[in-house]
Amino acid sequence: MVLSIQHLSKRYRKEKFGLKDYSLTIENGILGLLGPNGAGKSTLMKIIATISQPTEGIVTLDGHNIVREPDYIRKVLGYLPQDFGVYANLNAYEFLAYIAAMKGVGGSGLHKRIEMLLEGVNLVEAARLPIGTYSGGMKQRIGIAQALLNDPKVLIFDEPTVGLDPEERVRFRNLIAGMAGDCIIFLSSHIVSDIETIADEVAIMKSGTLIAKGTQAAIIKQLDGRLFETVIENTLTDAFKTNYQVIDSMRQKDKTRVRYISDAPAAGSVACTASLEDAYLFLTYNNR
Amino acid sequence: MNYTGSIIKADYLQRTRSYAFLITLAISLCIAYTFVPAPGATYTTVRVGNFVGVYNAAWIGYVTAIMTSVFLSLIGFYLVNNSIRKDIDTEVGMIIATTPITNFKYLLSKVLSNFLVLLSICTIVFAMSIALFFLRGKGFSFEITPFILPYTFVVLPALFFISSLAVVAEVFFGRWPVIQYILFFILFNMIMAEVTTSNDAGMTLFDPFGVKAVTTGMEEFVRSHLHKHLQVTSMGFNFVAKQDIKTFVFEGIQWQPAFIASRFAWICFSLLLIFISSKFFHRFDVKERISIKKKKLTTTISSGLITGDIQLAALPAITPAYGIMPFIKTELLMLFRKGSKWFWLVNIGGMIALIFAPLLIAHQIILPVLWFLQVSRWSDLATKEKTNRVHYFTYAAYKPVSRLLVSQIIAGIILAVALAFPVLVRYAAGGNLLPVAEIIIGAVLIVVFAVFLGILSGGNKLFEILFFLLTYCVVNHIPFLDYFGGMHNGLHYTGFMLMIIFFLVMMSFALRKYEIRHL
Repeated sequence: MVLSIQHLSKRYRKEKFGLKDYSLTIENGILGLLGPNGAGKSTLMKIIATISQPTEGIVTLDGHNIVREPDYIRKVLGYLPQDFGVYANLNAYEFLAYIAAMKGVGGSGLHKRIEMLLEGVNLVEAARLPIGTYSGGMKQRIGIAQALLNDPKVLIFDEPTVGLDPEERVRFRNLIAGMAGDCIIFLSSHIVSDIETIADEVAIMKSGTLIAKGTQAAIIKQLDGRLFETVIENTLTDAFKTNYQVIDSMRQKDKTRVRYISDAPAAGSVACTASLEDAYLFLTYNNR
Repeated sequence: MNYTGSIIKADYLQRTRSYAFLITLAISLCIAYTFVPAPGATYTTVRVGNFVGVYNAAWIGYVTAIMTSVFLSLIGFYLVNNSIRKDIDTEVGMIIATTPITNFKYLLSKVLSNFLVLLSICTIVFAMSIALFFLRGKGFSFEITPFILPYTFVVLPALFFISSLAVVAEVFFGRWPVIQYILFFILFNMIMAEVTTSNDAGMTLFDPFGVKAVTTGMEEFVRSHLHKHLQVTSMGFNFVAKQDIKTFVFEGIQWQPAFIASRFAWICFSLLLIFISSKFFHRFDVKERISIKKKKLTTTISSGLITGDIQLAALPAITPAYGIMPFIKTELLMLFRKGSKWFWLVNIGGMIALIFAPLLIAHQIILPVLWFLQVSRWSDLATKEKTNRVHYFTYAAYKPVSRLLVSQIIAGIILAVALAFPVLVRYAAGGNLLPVAEIIIGAVLIVVFAVFLGILSGGNKLFEILFFLLTYCVVNHIPFLDYFGGMHNGLHYTGFMLMIIFFLVMMSFALRKYEIRHL
């Protein structure tokens, strides 16, 4: 499958854009979306999920314009929104059967499918209890299960690891990594490590525009020879920050260890290996 | 007082910056327009025996004031009785609970915010009453005092009382809105029955809506000027032959100090109610009260992990199924489970009454009341996705309008028809099929009305208020609001109802279709 976004814009007011002339193409695999709050990640995902319409531009899936034909993608879509809710009076089986009906999934295998998904997200024990009694993490797991109900070919995960504890996050990452072979997966997260470990490609967004897209290695390469670390007196940190682009600092008693980007490093600095987080901070800072 | 003022302001702005409030204002204006009937109108509002006042400032000022007091007290309660609920739903309450604000101050801020909401409507209605003078009161000079005094002494304390009562009801019956509706409905009817029938002069002091003092003043005016012992026989919308109606020149009433003192006393009584309620206010510690089961569950199971071994290929193959039966089933399940299960006993009691009561009473009174008791089930029929934040799933579903919305409407109709089943069987058994059709059409109408208003306003309040008003009117035999054939018979009327249904369905589909693509 090929999903292509061409010159997509979403304008709220005259000069207020949620997305501005955004274009990219993705085939099977995981595209990690990174960006600060208000970057337009959720807007982009809502448009792909067909619950918001762009002001300009088109989105095609295998050549079908899903802005005009939303039902084409809806049949193969799995969507986990950032801030979703549940019907508190339904239990997990009833809720997933309801969502399955929405996705047009039925037949004799449905119950078994729901059961296996509930096993997969470890909710079998609580499956007969009203979802209103679930904790935040359990609701998030129900959200993950519903996204997989219809054998999706396009999966959109908007901040999927919110509410999950660290171990659950790791397992979730493994889960979606295993699905990347025959799905297009959009994964948005504030937690760079979530994306760093599984995304085939990364798209960094800011103020509704795409500022970088490529493999992690290609994005990190932009920092080659420009990332340094040094230790300075605590009293000098403010002055240091005015002269260099500090992306991280760690206070250690009287001194502060700073990680910064520069073409002309300060004396005593040590070059270091860049991570995706460094590249992300560098790119979003430089595109202010 | 500064932070109390901020709470009031925020609460007021939050509630008035909504389509539902704007629509309520528009409807209030339309209703206020009818308070002073046009010369050719087929109804009267306030009447002393068979006398009505000529349209001078005094008559229009006093009549609109007492009509406003009754009308706004009636719908005002339903309009404002969710102020604490909102803080629970938005979880703002949990933040408020951690601040130094006392329960009394918090509840008082809610009362004042309720009062401001009602005052906003009152102001619009007041302006309309003056406009009505210039529209209808030709030949009379304008005076402002007959407008200001009755609105000040009659309407404002009544609105304050209603604002307080709504908060008190929320404190004690917050989890059961339907019980609040029923209790208020009973209380309102008891007060109005006493106000309209009592000859006791002391009742002017014990009438929270303040209308008895005005009607008594009008009766005294007629007695002293026309030498007739007549009573205010009408205070609402009365469709009577108007040829017997005579006019007189009303000049206002003497405001008794005791009455004015009683209006202050009602405000003080309202504050006392709030003070007492503050001792019982949960201060947003509601979870423990709602479910002990929940606490147990989250501590025992939340430690579970995603196993991470879901193999999509290993799952049973999916079979396409685009029918709507699973939706209807789930929607019915949610309708059934909504609210307290004990409330179904009331429904069953209502259905038994539909079997044994005289057929006309069953049709005209019991059925609309029984349907009204389902108000909270129908009011969120098409809004619950948004209030539960499930709309991200439902709106991204396959053909959500033609499948899901249709299912919601069908489920709502099934509930309405099921409740009306005894009366339908009785009519059908008697071979009287037109009322059967009219009741079914009424069921469809009320459900699509709920769906339309829900989608239009984005909330359930507007439908709840209008459904209450509708029920109050049909129970009081106001014929033009008869939506279920209780007072009409004939294919012409049925055809008219079908046209309204068609319009509401078309509008609902168009609005939802737009909404789905514009989140």
